[in-house]
Amino acid sequence: MRNILFLSALILLFNACSKPNTKTITVAGSTTVLPVVSTAAEQYKKAHPDTRIIVNAGGSGVGVNQVGSQKIEIGMISRAITSQEIDQYPDTSFQTHSIGKDAVVPVVSSEIFDSGVTSLSLEQIAKIYRGEISNWKELNGPDKDILVIDKEKSRGTRHVFMKIVMGDKEADAPGADLVLGSNNEEQTAVVQSDAAIGMLSNAWLNEDVKGISIIMPDGEVIEPSLNNIINGSFPITRNLLLVTNGDPVGGARKFIDFILSKEGQDIVTQNGYVSIVQ
Amino acid sequence: MLVSYNKIGKGYIMLSTYISMLIALLIFIVLFINSFDAISQVGLKLFTLEWNPSKNEYGILSMLYGTLSVTVIALTIAIPLGIGTAIFTSEILPSAYRIYVKSIIELLAGIPSIIYGLIGIAFFSTWIASFFELASGRTILTAGILLSIMILPTIVTLSDDAINNVPKKYREAAKGLGLYPFEVIKNTVLPIAKKDITGAILLALGRALGETMAVMLLIGSIDKIPTPFYNVLSPGQTITSKLGREIGESAFGSLHFSALNTMGFVLMLLVIILTLITQLYLRKSNRLYE
Amino acid sequence: MNRKLTNAVFKIFVWAAMAASFGILLFLISVLFWKGFGAISFDFLFTPSSNFGAEGGIVYQIVGSILLIVFATLIAFPLSLGFAIYKSEYVKSSYVQNITDTLIYGLNGIPSIIFGIFGLIFFVNLLNTGISWFVGSIILAIMILPTIILSTYQAINSIPDSFRENALALGLTKWQLITTTLLPRGLSGAFTGLLIGLSRAIGETAPIMFIATAFSGVTIPVGFFEPVSALPTHILALAQQATNPQALQNAWGTSLVLLLLVLIFSIAALWRRVKFSKIEY
Repeated sequence: MRNILFLSALILLFNACSKPNTKTITVAGSTTVLPVVSTAAEQYKKAHPDTRIIVNAGGSGVGVNQVGSQKIEIGMISRAITSQEIDQYPDTSFQTHSIGKDAVVPVVSSEIFDSGVTSLSLEQIAKIYRGEISNWKELNGPDKDILVIDKEKSRGTRHVFMKIVMGDKEADAPGADLVLGSNNEEQTAVVQSDAAIGMLSNAWLNEDVKGISIIMPDGEVIEPSLNNIINGSFPITRNLLLVTNGDPVGGARKFIDFILSKEGQDIVTQNGYVSIVQ
Repeated sequence: MLVSYNKIGKGYIMLSTYISMLIALLIFIVLFINSFDAISQVGLKLFTLEWNPSKNEYGILSMLYGTLSVTVIALTIAIPLGIGTAIFTSEILPSAYRIYVKSIIELLAGIPSIIYGLIGIAFFSTWIASFFELASGRTILTAGILLSIMILPTIVTLSDDAINNVPKKYREAAKGLGLYPFEVIKNTVLPIAKKDITGAILLALGRALGETMAVMLLIGSIDKIPTPFYNVLSPGQTITSKLGREIGESAFGSLHFSALNTMGFVLMLLVIILTLITQLYLRKSNRLYE
Repeated sequence: MNRKLTNAVFKIFVWAAMAASFGILLFLISVLFWKGFGAISFDFLFTPSSNFGAEGGIVYQIVGSILLIVFATLIAFPLSLGFAIYKSEYVKSSYVQNITDTLIYGLNGIPSIIFGIFGLIFFVNLLNTGISWFVGSIILAIMILPTIILSTYQAINSIPDSFRENALALGLTKWQLITTTLLPRGLSGAFTGLLIGLSRAIGETAPIMFIATAFSGVTIPVGFFEPVSALPTHILALAQQATNPQALQNAWGTSLVLLLLVLIFSIAALWRRVKFSKIEY
């Protein structure tokens, strides 16, 4: 009995403490879009102390699902919404908002890059993922088995990468050795190995994780540089999107407008992506 | 007044009983209902190799294999190590120290599995990779070794209890026959403690089957059976790691969700049956082991 | 001679097994303390995290974890106390005893990720609560129910029947008998069980990662149906960045804080068990 009284007292106390005018916006989805949105959220809260923005990871698939089942206001996605996903949620009218541009870059361990494998054609990459090339030797690299790192099927980075490389966004990758999730996890696995190939958002490249250039069918070699992403010559690019159910209203509208503003677009650039203004 | 307190009291007791029992049944029913779509629509094709939600292929064999192989590795390492250690703590260690050593082991059993995962990623996977000269240390073996460490405390403490519960007079009698300590333990102590040690192993098995976080971070998460199948230095996938990685991105109500659910349901049944066998038939004590 | 040799081999095996087991356990503990102490500071404990947890501290993760288990306690404790009294004082038939035993042990055997899936289906989707810390508390409460029930049941059941007979002979009602005679012992047992349960609940990741927690931007929740951050899910996010030294450092720090919280509960439980096991009637 005492416990029940105590419980109700605590609930009352708990509700009394909460400020009813505080607005909470929940966001979840792609780990590629995550850095932009969580930095933007931190900035936005400074100007709007009565708004709380809760940001969660999980991948593009999670973002679409949770907006679809109307559990969150804003989803983060780094790929297009599939027709299956639209069919799954007939009560939701997905509306996307482009907030920036990014490239998906084939990456290799620094040991491979330093040994001279700095560019590959899309066909070569596809062969690696199909399991038809399994040793770096075949690509003029060291005599080492290729550690092919794939991503979970609903991840945005994978959809974009597979669409361009294999021609189908949900293509199977029989050559894959590991299947990982977030950009962070993929980056870690590439660094820990000395013979890995993977796919990463441009913003995750560093001295241990080298983005390789792509040899186009006409022989031109295109580096994954910001310039090439801006002018559209790098072949695997995508829009970073926010998705809402219908037109966003209230706090969600204001927050999206903030990301689209000059200040918000600066955050996009600082995080290593390309602003939509450019 | 007294009578009404009596009634309220009984009401509270009955209510909490009904709620608790309802919850236990609810978990079972909810998982069963959500598995139904996959069982009826995918049917026996669940027992195939291909898992590809976009093509409506839901074969769970790779996951079953992964769960099985990781568990076998974990038990192969943990059983001899654990029983050996238990023989040490119960037969060799002076009994004054036994309570302290046991307490420490029991505390270690409480280390959260996500911390094992972190240690696995930071140390074990790199060690395995360099020791076997592999491209990646995320393998079935790595997950199995880590799992063996996680279940070791369970086996040690319970086997220690089992051995220690064997009455002294049996040992005295055996020693009186001029047997060596090894023969005393092998011929007299272990046969008597056998039932309880089996219980310890079954409980550890249950824990290994259901372990998620550490395995999910370390196994490489690829839905494949390695070639050849005993090559445990390849990555794989267990039921739990599959659930941990995919359930969030499958839409509730879809066939994909239902197929994942079915795997979870199968795993749950397996572990519950193991637990019930151990608790209800092998051990008569009421202590709960985790 | 052969027997002697076997005995010697056996002896070596036992010592080696012991050395290996304790070597491993010692390694785990020293890694956690060694790496963890380097990361923990006043700032780390009392500032919010930023930049994916690679910078800043873990104050809201600590708050979230504690919130989760406080409410898990509030839900699980009264339920298990009632169930345990029922099981000990009201159940007469061994058939019903068997049913309750099966339910309790069955519930205890369910793998933790299954609880997460149950929560995802039943609360987050069917009851449409969304990602909510309160749902996390309910799920953790369900997980620790069996532990508290059994601990309470044992405590009450160990009270000799003569106490009950005397009380009833004095004209006490059943409820008075329960409150005056059985509850004090029962509460003590329930408390020990609660500590064991909480030491497990606070470290669980799989049950709460789909249903209760969010990654960043979480402060103190203002309602029941909001996510929180928690220590174990924070470690999960950081473990995925294991090659970023800053993130890894924070992961070790978070692990040590979590481990210390687990140890507080489990040492308290152990101490109570040793202390109260001496009571004899």
